[in-house]
Amino acid sequence: MLECRNCGAGAPVDEHFCPQCSRILALGRHGDYFAFVGLPRKLLIDPQDLERRFRELSRKFHPDYFYNATPAERLASLERSSYLNDAYRALKNPVSRIEHLLAIEGLPSARSEDPSTGSGDQAAKVPPSLLEEVFALNEELDEIRELRESGEDPEKLLARLATARQPIEEKRDEHERQLQELSARWDSRGEHAPAAEKRATLEALRERLLERNYINNLLGTIEREGSGLQATSREP
Amino acid sequence: MSKVVGIDLGTTNSLVAYADEGRPVVIRDDNGDALVPSVVSVGEDGTIYVGREAQRRLLAAPSRSVYSVKRFMGRGIEDVEHESALLPFWVSGDPGGVVRIGIADREFTPPEISAFILRELKHRAEEHFRQRGDFDFEVDRAVITVPAYFNDAQRTATRDAGRLAGLEVLRIINEPTAASLAYGLDKRSRGTIAVYDLGGGTFDISILKVEDGVFQVLSTNGDTHLGGDDIDRLLLEQVLAEIAGPKEQDPTTVEAIRRAVIQAKWDLSDIDETEIRIEPSPAAHTGYRRAITRADFERIIRPLVERTLEPCRQALGDAGLQPSDIDEVVLVGGSTRIPLVRRVVEEVFGRKPHSDLNPDEVVALGAAVQADILVSGRREMLLLDVTPLSLGIETMGGVVSKIILRNSTIPASGREMFTTGVDNQTGVDIHVLQGERELAADCRSLAHLHLGGIPPMPAGLPRIEVRFQVDANGILSVGARELRTSIEQTIEVKPSYGLTDQEVERMLIESFEHAEADFEARLLIDARNEAETVIQATDKVLRRPDFAALADEQLEAGERERIDAALADLKAVIAGSDRGAIQEKTLALNHATQHLAEVTMNRTVREALAGRNVKDV
Repeated sequence: MLECRNCGAGAPVDEHFCPQCSRILALGRHGDYFAFVGLPRKLLIDPQDLERRFRELSRKFHPDYFYNATPAERLASLERSSYLNDAYRALKNPVSRIEHLLAIEGLPSARSEDPSTGSGDQAAKVPPSLLEEVFALNEELDEIRELRESGEDPEKLLARLATARQPIEEKRDEHERQLQELSARWDSRGEHAPAAEKRATLEALRERLLERNYINNLLGTIEREGSGLQATSREP
Repeated sequence: MSKVVGIDLGTTNSLVAYADEGRPVVIRDDNGDALVPSVVSVGEDGTIYVGREAQRRLLAAPSRSVYSVKRFMGRGIEDVEHESALLPFWVSGDPGGVVRIGIADREFTPPEISAFILRELKHRAEEHFRQRGDFDFEVDRAVITVPAYFNDAQRTATRDAGRLAGLEVLRIINEPTAASLAYGLDKRSRGTIAVYDLGGGTFDISILKVEDGVFQVLSTNGDTHLGGDDIDRLLLEQVLAEIAGPKEQDPTTVEAIRRAVIQAKWDLSDIDETEIRIEPSPAAHTGYRRAITRADFERIIRPLVERTLEPCRQALGDAGLQPSDIDEVVLVGGSTRIPLVRRVVEEVFGRKPHSDLNPDEVVALGAAVQADILVSGRREMLLLDVTPLSLGIETMGGVVSKIILRNSTIPASGREMFTTGVDNQTGVDIHVLQGERELAADCRSLAHLHLGGIPPMPAGLPRIEVRFQVDANGILSVGARELRTSIEQTIEVKPSYGLTDQEVERMLIESFEHAEADFEARLLIDARNEAETVIQATDKVLRRPDFAALADEQLEAGERERIDAALADLKAVIAGSDRGAIQEKTLALNHATQHLAEVTMNRTVREALAGRNVKDV
């Protein structure tokens, strides 16, 4: 419950304005972006609907409209607007939307730069499902680097790099599909599923996200290697 | 109710506008001129001159005048050293501190100089409301515009300037966004707009989405040191190279050349060939003439204009859009009159840019609309802007940890946890930076914060939550709390390139002390302007082609002589600082020309009527 600082009435935590005196409520410790914009905890959302909600709420909270209000209301407007902007940014992007869902469902972060694990030791935590691809890619990259040192035609190496990239890209597409499926499963069963099933879906989503981050890092590595080669090929 | 205005505080020119029942209007002087040149000049007696008067003095006494001060707002000496060589005024300051501008024996900070310009605009607006017969004509609140790509220090410096000018700054808004508001008024438009704003000193590109009256900025980019000034400098350097000689480098000659190349630049927007021409004078002894074609001009400035392309691509990329997604391109800023600029913009976005509104005035109009939204409670329109640069703090090894990302919609907030490294440590130092680079050394230092009052605890135990809040002005404030004890921390802020609150307070007090002298100076300028108006009106009549005939028919014996004498008397005193004499001679000239004015008016009316008769037949 929130307490209205103007009239002292109680208000449900997802209300923005006091049901009693209709003044803007202080934000308090809100944590659920979905509820804040009035959406259920679902992963497949209509982007236009989200945008409309964002605009409508902006029109309700924005500090422009509280210029003549009391200091407390001005602060509430500033906090609610800032929070709304965060919420919109997080919900707009499908990946950060899943990350937020995992966070409010109490799962550990799926971000790759999670400080608790230390970000330097990427190699130590290769997701098991990717071991084969990572192994093959690293061998290929090593070989390409060696050939580059010994003066091999960079054009040829670029072609090899493109070939090495393919299986990783296929993996990424597969992951996009899996995330899509899991999201749909969450939306249809979601909160009403038995606790164990709910947990399993969330764990699976988190697993896919971790793998996805890893794949993106791999693609980044290939990208860097490629631009290095392109630079060499331009220097005659 | 006192008045609220919108102000475009520009590098070259400034303007003030207000909303008349929701419709924005630019305030003009008696000659219909809306632009106040952003030039400040200090007289021998310490009098401050602003605008046209200061611009005139820039030629006569260049070392006592300052222009383009906006380029120095919120900057350090190391940022501006390279460009100060050709400026007539002294620029100094300690490394890592605020720039100081020296004029004669006085020293000013850029916000103080800007405050003089703002005070002039405030005065202009008050004069307008007074003449309109408004009972309460005081202007004490304003929305002031800044380039979208201004960082925190530059915004704060602008807000300080407002305070120093006796204005409550209701809001700092971004120039391209303001322009889009002014455009949005006419058509209840929706779609995706790119605003390309190339002004006197700064370049901005903003991509906006407009729907249901909400103007949402998707991304912004730019260069706060790229504009018409740089074009002028290129031309100026070209001319100086051609007439090389130590004599030509003195400030008076440089200013004369600057004036001439600016005129040539303007000409070349309309015609294909012109002349850079400096009349011989005691200072520029030989004079100078040189033909320049538009092709020459474009060859010289092309590299500068092309520097605007990368920010455009970056902004499109950040918004996740392709050029073909843009429905409209709007041009803002005087430099967009240059045909090459228009062609380049058209190439980037693949469509002809819009310029229905005067590119010099559209920003001030938008600021007036925003001022009206703030005080009237009108809710048809809402501006949602973004912060142009990421905000972060320095962490171990000089790496920046970003807390609020660039292009985040503002207001925006972020939190970061800190703890102590030593037992019973009661303070923590935090270095706040702005920029996109990874290393603190490559980003802009905003401030050093010192968190104090942490309850003594073993190292690592305190959990200090620091809250970063960027408000709707794009200005940062910081709060901190130790979560175990819920004790709010004290924060001392030492801005890197700004004034502390105490410094602003001191300047405010000083400005009150100067207020009386400034008030007298203002009265003198008003008297001169009044005199100038009467002289011009008289000259105009005397130069009429039919004056001889008119004089023969209508003037009494000796009347012409009396007029000439009064005119000469007034011209003799107008440049002096005796206000009483100027007013007296103005009155005398007015009196001497009264009869002449009547007969001229009658003749004009007769002619107009006669003209109509002919047409009717």
